[in-house]
Formats: sequence, structure tokens, C-alpha cells
Amino acid sequence: MGRFLGSRLLFYIAAFMVAVTFNFVLPRMMPGDPFEIMFAAAQGKIQPEQMAVLKEQFGFVAGPWHVQYWDYIKGIFSGDLGPSLTYYPTPVTEIISGALPWTVFLAGTSTLICLFIGILLGIFSAYNRGGKFDSIVAPALAFIGAFPQMVSAMLILFGLGVILNWFPVGYGYNPDVDAGWTLEFFMSVAYHAALPLLTMIICGIGGWLFLMRNSMINTLGEDYITMGKAKGLSTRRVMINYAARNAALPVVTAVAMALSFVVAGALIIELIYNYPGLGNEMLGAVASRDYPLLQGLLLIIVVCVLTANFIADLAYFWLDPRLRK
Amino acid sequence: MTELANQQAETLLDIRGLSVEYLVGDARLRAVDKVSFTVNKGETVGLAGESGCGKSTLAFALAKLHKPPALIAEGEVLYKGRDVLSFDDEELRRFRWKETSVVFQSAMNCLNPVISVNAQICDVLSAHHPEMNRGELQDRARELLKVVGIHPDRLDQYPHQFSGGMRQRAVLAISLALKPQLIIMDEPTTALDVVVEREIMDQLSELKKQFGFSILLISHDLSLMGEITDRIAVMYAGKLVEIAPSEEVLFNPQHPYTKGLVNSFPHLLGEKKELTGISGNPLNLYSPPAGCYFEERCPERIERCKSTDPALITLNPQHKAKCHLLG
Ligand SMILES: Nc1ncnc2c1ncn2[C@@H]1O[C@H](COP(=O)(O)OP(=O)(O)O)[C@@H](O)[C@H]1O
Ligand SMILES: [Mg+2]
Repeated sequence: MGRFLGSRLLFYIAAFMVAVTFNFVLPRMMPGDPFEIMFAAAQGKIQPEQMAVLKEQFGFVAGPWHVQYWDYIKGIFSGDLGPSLTYYPTPVTEIISGALPWTVFLAGTSTLICLFIGILLGIFSAYNRGGKFDSIVAPALAFIGAFPQMVSAMLILFGLGVILNWFPVGYGYNPDVDAGWTLEFFMSVAYHAALPLLTMIICGIGGWLFLMRNSMINTLGEDYITMGKAKGLSTRRVMINYAARNAALPVVTAVAMALSFVVAGALIIELIYNYPGLGNEMLGAVASRDYPLLQGLLLIIVVCVLTANFIADLAYFWLDPRLRK
Repeated sequence: MTELANQQAETLLDIRGLSVEYLVGDARLRAVDKVSFTVNKGETVGLAGESGCGKSTLAFALAKLHKPPALIAEGEVLYKGRDVLSFDDEELRRFRWKETSVVFQSAMNCLNPVISVNAQICDVLSAHHPEMNRGELQDRARELLKVVGIHPDRLDQYPHQFSGGMRQRAVLAISLALKPQLIIMDEPTTALDVVVEREIMDQLSELKKQFGFSILLISHDLSLMGEITDRIAVMYAGKLVEIAPSEEVLFNPQHPYTKGLVNSFPHLLGEKKELTGISGNPLNLYSPPAGCYFEERCPERIERCKSTDPALITLNPQHKAKCHLLG
């Protein structure tokens, strides 16, 4: 166990540090004093005397760069990303913790559903290779998946949301419902998430289906599958324990690689459906040049992607005993 | 084996005129051509022939394990009088492994890499004996490993933790799991070095004495085969060209191809002879000749060989060969 996971963990920590360092360096490399720009952008919301305090809060303290860097790192690990400019004086962490769950919910749920359905259909398609499903439905799904997500999102939004008016086209839940652990609130969340999720699932399923199908067809040619059959195991057992189990390995690797695209996709979907989440906050932060918020958002997205990758590693590790020593 | 004993022997597997073809584009490549022979209870029959002559194709077809583009063109495979090729899925499932198990040519690759050896022994046991509980399955699995000379403590390991020889033994253990009456072995030791090959063959003879199953042993190595087989069948380009008791094949071969095959291996008894082998290349099955398939390479060919394919001639009740020179 130790070796493989240890080296992966080390890689993630290194990747995180690189991202953090970029976040530190970029504003300092921008032409002009970022604070002048920020100050201008804040349009009088910040008094000049607050500026000095603010500078210090952002780690732009006087002193050599390594002192600044150290302060910055300390800030990150103590969960202090400074205040947002547009929402001054609300801390960036507070804004992020309000937006993060929506994005994680959207990206996580859609990925899990997509994978589950895609893998099942892929198995089915490979098993009935050349059949109706394999030659008509599967390519159709892949075709839909090849559309830019934005186009599919627009079509679904107008079709199901605006014209048919079946589903709401904005917000995470009905503002008349109190947020809390109530059934009513959950129903409202599910209702509002329907279109964004549907879009992401429709766009993603074809890819997973084909990946699993092709991997499965390769696996079905392996000798251990023939041996499984020769052993008189039931077809279901051969398909699941022998074929699908092995065929899923490349899929897990692909999931890890696709996660950053999923998150990027989720951000765009949020914009189109006016859904709360990191994407919407990011748009706002870019528009109003809210650097601290933008930095915080980028950082948290990096953390999300790395965490998800690590989970994919764990899954791979669990599925493939050859990695265990 | 004496003639008398053989007449009394009970036929277990009776292959009758079996032909298997591969559909390649529009062409039909006949990889096994009207092969007939029997395997008796408790008997070890060898199937020899150079690479590509259709041995594996035949082995797969015997348990109806062939898959497209292979198809059975004609023939029957009677197991205890019932045609395996006409079995439906459920009959096949029950027949496979319980009656006949198969050790594949690529035993190295036929263990599932992601589940433990234990699980791969237990799944076949529980598929055929659903009544066995966990403890019984474990006991049986440990016992099987012990039988093939693997320490039972290694039961929970995965195939990649086993050496090549151990994997082969593990496959052997799995093939014995349900005490089948027939084990088909397709070049079981080809991938192994000679020392390990030797060990495994000795073990096999030992196990055979102990359990009394029949074996159909496929190999291109006649000398190895001669040590444990009762009879040997020789195939060339999909056709059975000679079948006889092992000593007959090794020391008194009748078909020119068998003679060449015997001469291409060093003799067991150390008698020094020049290894001549067979010149020429294996037949191109896409355009088979009208006459004898071996004619082109045959050092003893006569006029007739080019035009007509010889029949399998019965030299004595035990010895048959397919050659014009004998007719
Ligand atoms: N999947 C396949 N498609 C087409 N031809 C095949 C296929 N598998 C085997 N063959 C052909 O069938 C013949 C017999 O092959 P095989 O049974 O593997 O021989 P052996 O086991 O004696 O080496 C060979 O000529 C080979 O080229
Ligand atoms: Mg072969």
C-alpha cells in the first residue's frame, strides 16, 4: 500500500505547492501595482486608510519576497485568504465555502451518475457487440456527447426550461423555502439541479460508454475470460467478476484525467443556468477585478481537482491488486 | 496397453469427423478437417503436430469454447455418448469443468490478474457446488494447492505474486478442483523452462495415478509427450495423419510426416542420430492442394500423391496412418 499511495500523495502535495506559488507570483508580476488597480476597481468602497491594512492582509507586507511568501503560505494553511474586494469585508473563505458545495454537488453527482450509467451501458454494448444498441444507441450518445457542452446546455435550457417550462432555469433552490435539512428544501434543490445535471450527464455519458465498451471488448479477448467460461461460471459472473472488473481499470485512469474538465464544465454550466457555485463567483470576480477572490477560487479549484484525483487513485488501488506490494 | 485391455476400455470422448473453420473475409480456412479419434477412460492421449496445424482449434471446439470467426463445419464430439456440440447453455455450463476441464496453452495469462488465486479456485467450486459453505470452500482450496505442491499459505495471493511455474501449478490445481474425468491440456509447459517443465510433468503423472482422469495432452514436443501418453495422434494441416500407441509412433512411425517429426527431436534413450526434421514450410490453408496435403514436403512422394488425398488406412486395430505408401 504505502509505496504507491505515498508517491501519489507526494505528487499531489508538490502540485498543490506549485499552484500556490503561481497564485503568489502572478499578481506580483502584473504591470503596475495590483493595489492601485484594485483600489480603482473597488470604486471608492475602500477608504485609502484601509488600504494599508488591506495590503498587509494580502501579504504584500514590506520586506524581501521570501518573507512575503512565508506569510502568504502561513495565511493559506491557517485558512486565511484575506477579504474580498467586491464583498468587502467578507473574507474570501466565507464566499468560497458558500459556493463550493454547489459546484462539488454538480460536478460530483453528474460524474457519478455518468460513470455508473456509462459503464453499465458500455458493458451491455460490448456484450451485445454489433447488436441494435451497440450500433445505434451507443453511437448516438457519443454523437450528442461530441457537441460543445455550451450548445447542449442552451438547447436543453430553451427546450425544457423556457419553452416547455418543466424545470426552473436559475438559482440553486426556491428562495421561499428555508435552507435546512428538510424534505422540502431537498426537493427544491433537486428540482433546480435537474437541468444542469441532465446537461452534464447527457454530454458525458457517451464518452464513458465508449471507453468502457472498448476496454471491455479488449478484455473479452483475454485468456482468463475464456478460462472463466470454461470453468462453467454463469455468464453474469464472467461478465462482472472477470471482464468488467478488469475493463474498469482504464476507465478509472481516464476519470482521474477527465476531472479537471468536469470541473471546468461545471463552471460553465453554472453560468448558463445561473446556478450558484464557484463558476458564478468567478465570473463576478473577473468582472470586478476582485483579485483576492479570484486567487482563492483558483486555489480551491486546484484543491478540488487534486482531491478528486487522489480518490480516483484510491479506487484504482482498490481495484488492481498488482499495485499493492 | 494390450489389445484386449483396449477393447474392454470404455470410450469417454469420441470425436467423429470434426471440422472447424475460420471465416476470414470471404474465405473459409479449414483449420481442423474431419478429425476422428477417441479417448478412453483413464487413458492419456497425445495430440502432436507442428505449430499452426489446428491443435488448439480442436481443443477449444471439444468444450464448445470456440468463438467467432471459428465455427464447427461438421462432426460430433460425443462425451459419454452425448454430443457436446448440441448442448444448450445450461448443459454446457454443467459439463464444463465438472466433466472436462481445460488447461490452456497460455496458462500464464489465463488467471484473472485482479482476483486472488483463492477466489479463482472457490468460484469454480461454488458455481458447481452451491451447497458448499465458506469453510468447506477454503479447506478444499488449500487441499488443492497442496496437491500440486504449492504451500497453502499462498492461497490469498494474486497471480502476479506467483512465478511462471507456480501459476501453471495453480491452473493445474483449478483444473483438478471438480475431479473431472477428462482434462484437456494445450501445451501446458511450453512457456516454462525445462526444469520446471520436468517437475510439472512428473507431478501430472503422479496426480493421474492418484485420481485416474483421462488426459488429452497437446504438444509439439513428441519426446516429452511419449513419457506419459498411452497413444499419440499426429495432425498435419488440420488432418489426422497417424494415430497409434506411443511406442509405435516413436519407434515405428509409418507416415512420412511422423517420421520427420520423430527425427526432429533428440531421442530419449540417448541413441545418437542426426536430427533431420522436415524441410519446407507448413501448408498454406487458404489454397489447399487436391492431393495429399503433405505431398509438397514429402521425401517419399509418388505420382498418386499429387492427385488424390489418401484415406486413413488401418494397419492394425491400434495403428492408423493416412498415406498412399501404406495402401
Ligand atoms: N482467430 C483466427 N482467425 C483466423 N485463423 C485462425 C485463427 N486462429 C487460428 N487460426 C488459424 O488456424 C490454424 C490452426 O491454429 P491453431 O489451432 O492455433 O494451431 P496450433 O494450436 O496447432 O498451433 C492456423 O493456421 C491459424 O493461422
Ligand atoms: Mg496452439
